[in-house]
Amino acid sequence: MIDRIEHEFGIEESLSVLNEYVRKWFTENFNELTPPQRYAFKLIAERKNVLIASPTGTGKTMSGFLSILSALFDKALEGKLEEKIYCIYVSPLRSLNNDVYKNLTRPLEGIYSLIRESKGKEIITDNIRNVTIGVRTGDTTQQERRKMLSKPPNILVTTPESLAILISSSRFVENMKSVEYIVVDEIHELANNKRGAHLSLSIERLQEISEKKFVRVGLGATLHPIEEAARYLVGMEGEKPRQCTVVDTSAVKKMDVITISPVEDMIYTKEGKIEDEIYKEIDRIVSASSTTLIFTNTRSGTERVVFNMKKRLKYKQEEIAAHHSSLSRESRLEVEGLLKQGALKCVVSSTSLELGVDIGTIDNVIQLGSPKSVSRAIQRIGRAGHTYNAIARGEVIVLNRDDMIECSVMLDAALKKHLDSFSVPRNPLDVLAQHIVGMAIDRKWEIKEAYNVVRRAYPFSTLQMEDFLSVIDYLAGNYVGLESRRVYGKIWYDKDTGIIGKRGMFIRPIYMLNVGTIPDEVSIGVFESSTKKWVGNIEEEFLSRLENGDIFALGGKLYMFEKAAGTKCYVSQAHSNTPTIPPWFSEQLPLSYELARLVGKFRGDISSALENMEEDEAKKVVSSKGKPKIPEDAQRILDGMPINDYARTAISKYITEQLLFAGIVPTDKMILVEYTYDQKSEKDILVFHSIFGRRINDTLSRLIAINLGVILGQDISIAINDNGFVVSPDEPVEINEETIETLMRKITNSDIEAVLRGNIRNSEMMRRRFRHVASRSFMILRNYKGRRMPVNRQQISARLLMKAAEEIDPDFPILKETYREIFEEVMDIGRTRELVARIADGSVSYKFVETVSPSPFSHTILTFGHADVVLMKDRNDYLRYLHGLVLDRIGIKKGRKHRVKK
Amino acid sequence: MMLGKDVELIDGEPIAYIRSICALVLSDMHLGFESYNAGKGILVPKVNLRSIKKIVEKALEGRSVSKIIITGDIKNDFSTVEIEEIKEIEEFAAFAESKGLEVVLVKGNHDNFIDKYKNRLGIKIHGRSFQEGGYLFFHGDTVPAIRKGLKMMVMGHEHPAISIISGSGRKESVRCFLEGRYKGVKLLVMPAASYFAGLSSVTYGEMLSPVFRKVDVGNMRAIAFGYGRTIDFGKVSMLRLAARRAKEERL
Repeated sequence: MIDRIEHEFGIEESLSVLNEYVRKWFTENFNELTPPQRYAFKLIAERKNVLIASPTGTGKTMSGFLSILSALFDKALEGKLEEKIYCIYVSPLRSLNNDVYKNLTRPLEGIYSLIRESKGKEIITDNIRNVTIGVRTGDTTQQERRKMLSKPPNILVTTPESLAILISSSRFVENMKSVEYIVVDEIHELANNKRGAHLSLSIERLQEISEKKFVRVGLGATLHPIEEAARYLVGMEGEKPRQCTVVDTSAVKKMDVITISPVEDMIYTKEGKIEDEIYKEIDRIVSASSTTLIFTNTRSGTERVVFNMKKRLKYKQEEIAAHHSSLSRESRLEVEGLLKQGALKCVVSSTSLELGVDIGTIDNVIQLGSPKSVSRAIQRIGRAGHTYNAIARGEVIVLNRDDMIECSVMLDAALKKHLDSFSVPRNPLDVLAQHIVGMAIDRKWEIKEAYNVVRRAYPFSTLQMEDFLSVIDYLAGNYVGLESRRVYGKIWYDKDTGIIGKRGMFIRPIYMLNVGTIPDEVSIGVFESSTKKWVGNIEEEFLSRLENGDIFALGGKLYMFEKAAGTKCYVSQAHSNTPTIPPWFSEQLPLSYELARLVGKFRGDISSALENMEEDEAKKVVSSKGKPKIPEDAQRILDGMPINDYARTAISKYITEQLLFAGIVPTDKMILVEYTYDQKSEKDILVFHSIFGRRINDTLSRLIAINLGVILGQDISIAINDNGFVVSPDEPVEINEETIETLMRKITNSDIEAVLRGNIRNSEMMRRRFRHVASRSFMILRNYKGRRMPVNRQQISARLLMKAAEEIDPDFPILKETYREIFEEVMDIGRTRELVARIADGSVSYKFVETVSPSPFSHTILTFGHADVVLMKDRNDYLRYLHGLVLDRIGIKKGRKHRVKK
Repeated sequence: MMLGKDVELIDGEPIAYIRSICALVLSDMHLGFESYNAGKGILVPKVNLRSIKKIVEKALEGRSVSKIIITGDIKNDFSTVEIEEIKEIEEFAAFAESKGLEVVLVKGNHDNFIDKYKNRLGIKIHGRSFQEGGYLFFHGDTVPAIRKGLKMMVMGHEHPAISIISGSGRKESVRCFLEGRYKGVKLLVMPAASYFAGLSSVTYGEMLSPVFRKVDVGNMRAIAFGYGRTIDFGKVSMLRLAARRAKEERL
């Protein structure tokens, strides 16, 4: 059962549950109990499962640990503390592990010295030992590991991957039978992904090993719906979730936030001027604060901002630092150290400082560009304010007009605590495959028994027996003939007795070396060949697909690939409109569904307040001439937003422009389908203004392109953005309202999943995801018999594997999981289905307009869209089609080359 | 599709039929590919042999056939003979026998050490080439000696494919046969029958076989197959021109 606790316990009541020495140490070192501590001490002392959601700097770690320390010191005082593991702490970050180790060592020493003072000789006579703590991660040396095996710490600090290894190591398991507590930190970074699903199974396997039913404590930033996070933490007992009490003190920190437009007019102000104003804003904020944290979203942005702050604003080398994931671990740790000491005036980060270690003295967070989600914005702003009663100050500086509306709405929602929701991945079969191998290594299992353990983990609580068996069949090598199972099989499965077990002596090292869910990726620096200037980074896998002459987008520009050399590659600027390789590898954050809907709703509210303006007044708004009278309703809406005056003016201008030009503003209830002419590509295009978040746009745009392709009989190019997508047929063709109606009818009547499957089958995304799933499922062994397989080799193999798997069974578990991952984690097929149903019943409408040139709302979609092509591959006469292309090019048939211009 | 009166390319498949000698021709099967990879930690499901059987079965329909001629590379691992490989070749031989077909192999560069299994497999093995009814079959890793009166030379080794840039700028590779002349004799280059065949593009790439040092490749015709069809794509030089044009369009 999941329950929320609303009333905090009294201070005396909270402290009374603690061991006297622990209590003494606590009151000597702290003046008060922070909000989460006022709930958690007592609940955990009562051995309740607890999920604590609270911002950084609210004493969260201590709130989760103090009652555990207290119970362990109780044992110590009774002389019953043995060399066993009683508590396991898991966090997704190694740096956080080191931090927690340090932060717990201090109280352990403090408490023990209090005991020593009071007991004197009895320490030895009564065998009162100190509680020990140890860290075990991928960095732990062999020597330390051996030591840990014979002398395990009482509190083990580890990562999800190391935990998965430990529970399958036959000797170490003995040390874990005594576990009574498990603490999962940064739960918001785990509950929503496969890494977390993996951890949830490890925890259930650990519970099987452990002699006691352990207490589970979860720590995290705010999550919505928080009950879902609680279910993730505690798992299931039968059909119901286990007990968990939710402590939500996430609202405790006060926020003071504002969206800042650096200039009044973001279109006609010269780029240099906008940049000047942005840096002026930054300087104003940074110099008024003690330490400022700036988020730029991208690595290149981080470097650029640091460079400019030194150059333009004359910040000194020792005042400012960069922090992003491509920096070495040492330099990141150094920056974190400096932050804790309060030695920096400003630190600039891509996204890497969003979570993790306590970074101390920051009192202000600037975000350059939208973080694309309310929760992420709150998480980032929450990094400011060292204590829970400090006010977290945050500014978002916007870079274009869509950004401006988005961020204004986002901060408004943040203040009102309207959070984005997250979802737990359901039944990822690749993660399951790893754990079945792990379980088979441990001992023999009856199928039903193993199935029940797996279903206790919340991400697998709805797992069907059929899928479970398909994974077992795969692992047993039942897809090859009997004689080959020696090579292919990882477990054996006796169908008559229904028992599984490990096969062969190599399977244990295979599990140990390949466990985990994070795929191998290597970053390649991209340089302009003429100037040798660094322009960005791409992934190794992306590089391996590039050939001389290929064109791809990077950082908003198009480049032509020339050559690769080691971990670098060289390009030149391309003078073309369309990339030849779609950038599925974008580092851009996707706009969340909830925030998108809020933006759509806001557009609806503000445009209906503005649309009745007299044309003269409206023109005044747009031209910024005179003093236009903004309707009262609109003014009230704008005044209620946490934004600066420039932003206020710019928003009403942007909306009014769209109203004057197209007569209509797309909202959360209406998709605008704009048929227009794009000067740049010299093509007629369709712009779908659909504001439901990027994952839905990803899904919907493909659905539309596939169906339009069938209607028009050609390949369709698409470009996707958070605010909509562009669809353009390769050859000029007349489109009208009827075409769109036919199209929409076709979509609402189709089996969405089947249509998408057929299309995605041949996509680069499918190949890439398949590789990840195949290596997670141990079908490609990244690490085999002591050799590491390079990424490009893995990739070639994945292509062969996929072909072969399709030939064997279209529902092969690894294929099935790849589709699931794409549909549910990259795209959002569930919500797209809902949207399509709402289009069908009319609760979301669409409207067709024809414009002579793209409307204002189209501009960012056209500029920043991510291009891809939906091919007509299913067509029977595909070979003929390809042949036609050749004839066209060599001039035997006319057409194509000469585009019809308007 | 017919090449002249005697040779037929079975629609949509990498296999040829020669009527006058009642033979099917296949090339570059690379059996044992999957187990070779499994040994390296890539557990490719076994589908190659299965798909080759399907190809042969399709070709047998309504045709009078007494033998299958393989122009080299029946197996995959050239450094040794794997047990799994031999098992697959055995299975293929048994399959052929059940259809009443004789198997004739002209050795390719991957077919080392196969001779000692000759009797066990019950197949005929020729070292460099094999001639019947005016047709000369050879693998193509070396240049064959030609005799007078040949109707056609048939080779493998090359794994030919053509590349086409589609309207949206994407590259598509399609497997193909090549037809042309070598020293005045008709030459047919077979595509690889392996399900997993790596492809070498005649549109961009350099040719693999030394045979092509004496052949005007641009003048050869590429006959592509796939998606259930076999279509003559015309001269390689034209395909190369189309690819150049496509690249120019993008710049």
